[in-house]
Amino acid sequence: MHRYIINRLLMLIPVLLGVVFIVFFIMDLAPGDPVYQVAGEQATQQELQELRVKMGLDGNIFTRYIRYIGNMLRGDLGVSYISKRSVMRTYMERLPNTLVLASVTMLVAILISIPLGIIAAIHQNSMKDTVSMILSLLGLSMPNFWLGLLLIMLFSLKLKWVPSGGIDGVKSIILPALTVGMGLAALMTRTTRSSMLDVIRQDYLRTARSKGVTEKKVINKHALKNALIPIITVFGIQFSNVLGGSVLAETVFSWPGVGRLVVDAINQRDIPMVTGALVMTTMLVSVVNLLVDIVYAYVDPRIKAQYTK
Amino acid sequence: MNNTEAGSGQYAKRSAFKAMWKQLQKNKGAMIGLVIIGVIVVVAVVSQFAFDYERDIIAQNVANKLQHPSLEHPFGTDALGRDVLGRVAYGARYSLAIGVVSVLIALVVGVVLGAAAGYIGGRFEDVVMRITDIFSAIPSVLLAIAIVSSLGKSTFNLMVAVGVASAPSFVRVARASVLTVRGEEYIESARAIGMHDWKIVLVHILPNCLSQIIVQTTLRVASAIISAASLSFLGLGVPAPAPEWGSMLSEGRAYIRDYNYLMIFPGVAIMLTVLSFNLIGDGLRDALDPKLKR
Repeated sequence: MHRYIINRLLMLIPVLLGVVFIVFFIMDLAPGDPVYQVAGEQATQQELQELRVKMGLDGNIFTRYIRYIGNMLRGDLGVSYISKRSVMRTYMERLPNTLVLASVTMLVAILISIPLGIIAAIHQNSMKDTVSMILSLLGLSMPNFWLGLLLIMLFSLKLKWVPSGGIDGVKSIILPALTVGMGLAALMTRTTRSSMLDVIRQDYLRTARSKGVTEKKVINKHALKNALIPIITVFGIQFSNVLGGSVLAETVFSWPGVGRLVVDAINQRDIPMVTGALVMTTMLVSVVNLLVDIVYAYVDPRIKAQYTK
Repeated sequence: MNNTEAGSGQYAKRSAFKAMWKQLQKNKGAMIGLVIIGVIVVVAVVSQFAFDYERDIIAQNVANKLQHPSLEHPFGTDALGRDVLGRVAYGARYSLAIGVVSVLIALVVGVVLGAAAGYIGGRFEDVVMRITDIFSAIPSVLLAIAIVSSLGKSTFNLMVAVGVASAPSFVRVARASVLTVRGEEYIESARAIGMHDWKIVLVHILPNCLSQIIVQTTLRVASAIISAASLSFLGLGVPAPAPEWGSMLSEGRAYIRDYNYLMIFPGVAIMLTVLSFNLIGDGLRDALDPKLKR
């Protein structure tokens, strides 16, 4: 088991180095010289050159990449062109907001999708099944940001129950979390249903039923436990989509998280901020995926057995 | 349908498609999806002739601004006095084109790399798959945002960005499908009679992976349309004044309180288009792979 974790950790390193390079390369394609942007029009050639060295923009892309990696290992992601503040610090200030939103989102998605998926599976091909499948298909087909706008129209403009944006008290998280959570729930309902259907057909459930175990107990105790394993994994994988999706939700609801940070930084052409935020978010997603895999291996005795031999 | 019929050439291919079509016809959802898509395509084509882009779609008429839906303007007019119905109809051209072209980019890049990785194997496969891992580690919305912001805002760059962000899944699907048929006997025999590698892949391997790839393509068009609309909503997609649905929602947002019809029609248009591709994709998956049918 330890070997598995160490192996997975080691495999993460080249992926992250690759991510930094790709983000670096993409941002390098951007037209315009950031040195001019910062120095202004009156700067002399010499001032420009000094500033270039100071900003760490001298040398070719590979030198700059190596330097960036070196700085990154020391927790330094550079300084924003606009606010002149440390990228790392700014990111870390925003991160809790996004993590809170992501957690509540996950909770919303679980609360909707697991009951709905189980009901659909138990009553396969019934009206309940059809309705929940149609709902989840509609949810999958709705752009996240549009759902957010509709929720604002209904719950904050018409009914005035919750604020339409900003971060101010518990109420303000309801709409953004519903927005991302409902989209995720649409996908997860399908996963839960098919995972449950897989399990329901297994022999050991027939055995349990023939022993006289009540149907409720068969589902809650025997089926659900086994069906949950793939569901948990897919949830873990979806964390990446939640962080991606929160870019839109954070924009719609003026939620001061890292998603909005990226969008603002892009609009201001603040390249160090964009690069840093992308690198950090990807790193976060990769680490969460790794954790999910490890938990998965712990929970499922069959996987654990492969590594404890 | 795959392995046994593959050797018998043209005839087998045709009957495989016929069988698929027959299966698909039984799927109500897929048929509804095809009808919706049919209507949207007709709207997209007709709007080209029905409207004059300069005069009807982008010309501002401030005297006429923010009129609620009426007989004259069934979807109302926007803040610049433009007819929303015309813009939504014309917008179908953008969403369809972006959805299809970006997925074609992803398809070509992904299938070529994935099939080559699966067929060649070894070092090459390792390198391709690691690069795929790296690309899929970055959340796809963020990857697309980064690409557009770097290349600049334009419809074509939006297609490239969404295409690159969806390519990794095609690499995976293509490689996995190639791996499942690579060891089959008919591939060995083709090699034994001295067939070229690229010909084996093109004639024998890819047609047998087609079902997986078709399903993936249809579902990806759906998500590409959402991604494109999202990027446009963020101001990183099709530049104004083009009537792209995502940017229409973004422009209408300022009037959400009093003119909420501006929020409804472009959103419904996006949802219907995406829904129909999802319905067709699900139907195709059931039709092509009965094992997955539940």
